[in-house]
Amino acid sequence: MKGWRGLAAGAAALAVAVTGCGTSTNSGGSTETKEITVWLMDGSAPTTLTDALNKEFESANGIKVKYEVQKWTGIQEKLTTALASSTPPDIIELGNTQTASFADQGTLADVTADASQFNSGEWLGGLKDSLTLNGKQYGVPFYAANRTVIYRTDLLQAAGVAQPPTSRAEWLDAINKLKAANASNPDFQALYLPGQSWYFLLSLIWDEGGDIAKQDGGKWTGTLDTPQAKAGFEAYKALYDASATKKVPADIDEAKPQQMEVFGTGNVGMMVGLPWELAGAVKAKPDLKDKTAAFPIPSKKAGSAAPVFLGGSNLAIPASSKNADAAKKYLALLSSKKYQDMLAEGGAVPGTSKDTAKLATNAIGKAMADSSPNGKVTPVTPKWAAVEAGQNPLKDALTAYLTGAKSLDQATKDASEAVTKAMG
Amino acid sequence: MTAVETTETAAPAGSIPPALPPAVTGGARKRRRGGAFDRALPYLLLAPALIAILWLIGWPVVSVFVTSFRQLNLGELVRGEIVWTGFDNYATVLQDERFWTVSLRTVVFTAAVVGASVGMGLGIALLMRVLTPWVRIALQIAMLCAWAMPILASTTVYQWMFDQNYGILNKTLVQLGFDSFAGYSWFSSGTSTLSVVGLLIVWQAIPFLAFSLYAGLVGIPRDLYEAAGIDGATGWQTFRAVTWPEIRSLLMMVTFLSTLWDFKVFAQIWVFREGGPSGESTTLAVLQYLEGIAKSHFGVAAAISVLMMVILGLITFQYLRRLLQTEEGKI
Repeated sequence: MKGWRGLAAGAAALAVAVTGCGTSTNSGGSTETKEITVWLMDGSAPTTLTDALNKEFESANGIKVKYEVQKWTGIQEKLTTALASSTPPDIIELGNTQTASFADQGTLADVTADASQFNSGEWLGGLKDSLTLNGKQYGVPFYAANRTVIYRTDLLQAAGVAQPPTSRAEWLDAINKLKAANASNPDFQALYLPGQSWYFLLSLIWDEGGDIAKQDGGKWTGTLDTPQAKAGFEAYKALYDASATKKVPADIDEAKPQQMEVFGTGNVGMMVGLPWELAGAVKAKPDLKDKTAAFPIPSKKAGSAAPVFLGGSNLAIPASSKNADAAKKYLALLSSKKYQDMLAEGGAVPGTSKDTAKLATNAIGKAMADSSPNGKVTPVTPKWAAVEAGQNPLKDALTAYLTGAKSLDQATKDASEAVTKAMG
Repeated sequence: MTAVETTETAAPAGSIPPALPPAVTGGARKRRRGGAFDRALPYLLLAPALIAILWLIGWPVVSVFVTSFRQLNLGELVRGEIVWTGFDNYATVLQDERFWTVSLRTVVFTAAVVGASVGMGLGIALLMRVLTPWVRIALQIAMLCAWAMPILASTTVYQWMFDQNYGILNKTLVQLGFDSFAGYSWFSSGTSTLSVVGLLIVWQAIPFLAFSLYAGLVGIPRDLYEAAGIDGATGWQTFRAVTWPEIRSLLMMVTFLSTLWDFKVFAQIWVFREGGPSGESTTLAVLQYLEGIAKSHFGVAAAISVLMMVILGLITFQYLRRLLQTEEGKI
């Protein structure tokens, strides 16, 4: 305990020294800061991390940290209201797909000049892209997570699948074997895949060489109707059709019902999910802990992993914050290796450190670490948030195609037009 | 003036103790001979309440109206900038062909839901008159429970009932021999989704309508029915000649209220499929949410709000006209 405190004090001293240099060159900014307000999202950073971080920051700077945890539901409205108020929070956490729209509206402070304080050499590529707009940085990468295929080791073994599949063909084969081995259970689902799992669809589209949209002279055009993107849709349908003995609704996504709850029933062999979803399933059914593992989403090319959507968060300072200097010190401290390692230990890909050794200690962490360098993000444009927050054309296209309401050509054409319209 | 009018209109209903109004009226009459202050006193006494009401209700309306002429996105909101754009927001909305489809859909949806809920509410109210007390009480308790249920709770229950794989409706239909309903999706088209949502809204609306109309029916003197019975009127004739004239104005009022409520319904539609599939169950309220909250175009959303008020005004024009006429008649 004593040694740990010494380390903390040392790190704090270092942080003060480092940030001290930074602030001395900064003119303006309040020197009277007594308290900063930090908004982090529910389930993003482990409490062991935030407790230690807040304590260290408070004792090093003599500034109190008002730490508040926010829920993801309705966060867009809440942030809008908070940013428009006269006393906004000093640090906010933004989903990486939301960041561009907030930055574009001039609501976030430009931190390009201070990026080196935040370990910018080690930033995770996909996240860095998401907070860069017109060559300027509007935040600091916080953490990322990507989807892997979480599976039941016992069921796969019983079905005669000795090794986790490493290509899409092998994966389909494993699904069919699982189905055959559990034919007596009418509720069994070899792969739980709801019809609107669009982040997973992105993996398949990228794997086939397609994309959602392309930028041409500042204008975005939907590219979901290209042969490559269509191949992604077809791959989704093949998996969807093969996955369950009983059809999973084509018009729901992975959150409604929470797929971890479905996985927790024990009738599911695999799901494409995030680490916290497995944790949720294990919480509901503790004996799953020793029977689960994960492998990266297989590519159609044997032996490699498909590109994945890099979900995650950035930390930003609202442009209207009155305590920007103190907030920068806080971010600098959080970007330090010590706290990044704690993030990795908590099961996330750290945003400002390339060292994922702490993450790769368990199966799902390893699968995630293996595929995260291959991570991609949705188009970085202020207009993207509208595509995702409203009626997502990708979800609509999936449902229409899977239910047969529209042909593949029609569904992808409509979706592509909707994307162009929303982003153009 | 206001005090006088209140007593005059309220007195026949007999709800105000007769001892008090004459005293008030008398007092006012005596004071009227006094100075300007005395004459202004009633208005001054009313002023605080009036200002509170105007501030609470009037200001948001004015604010929406003003916002509809501004370019107000997230940036302007946060920076507190005021950018006037004239009728640009309206042009954007009106040029979007989707607005017209959605408006038509909203009007048809509202008409269907209001018609069904008022019709069934009236039916139940008429039924309650002829039921034995115990059955009536049981019915009333059941309706109270339905009414007291929070919107999101009942919406969730409906979602479960109509669930594709585990819903009780599909299971029952399969048990009854309709095998095609195994795994049938009730939300595969906009019409089907809105039908389910409409059913839910009707279910939620019936208790209020039935209770209100029943209260109106109870007020009709029994001897009118006896007289009709002696004259040999059939059930339908009794309804036409006795019941209908008595409850017509009440029925108009509840229809008006239902129209207001059902036109702007949002929560139920959003919770079911977020206006999907492919935006086919999007109504004006959902469109407004998509523009305002999802896209942060508050000016455009405000323009949609104003247009919603205009459409609502057109729909209820007849009723509003009568309402104003009766008011004038009284004054």
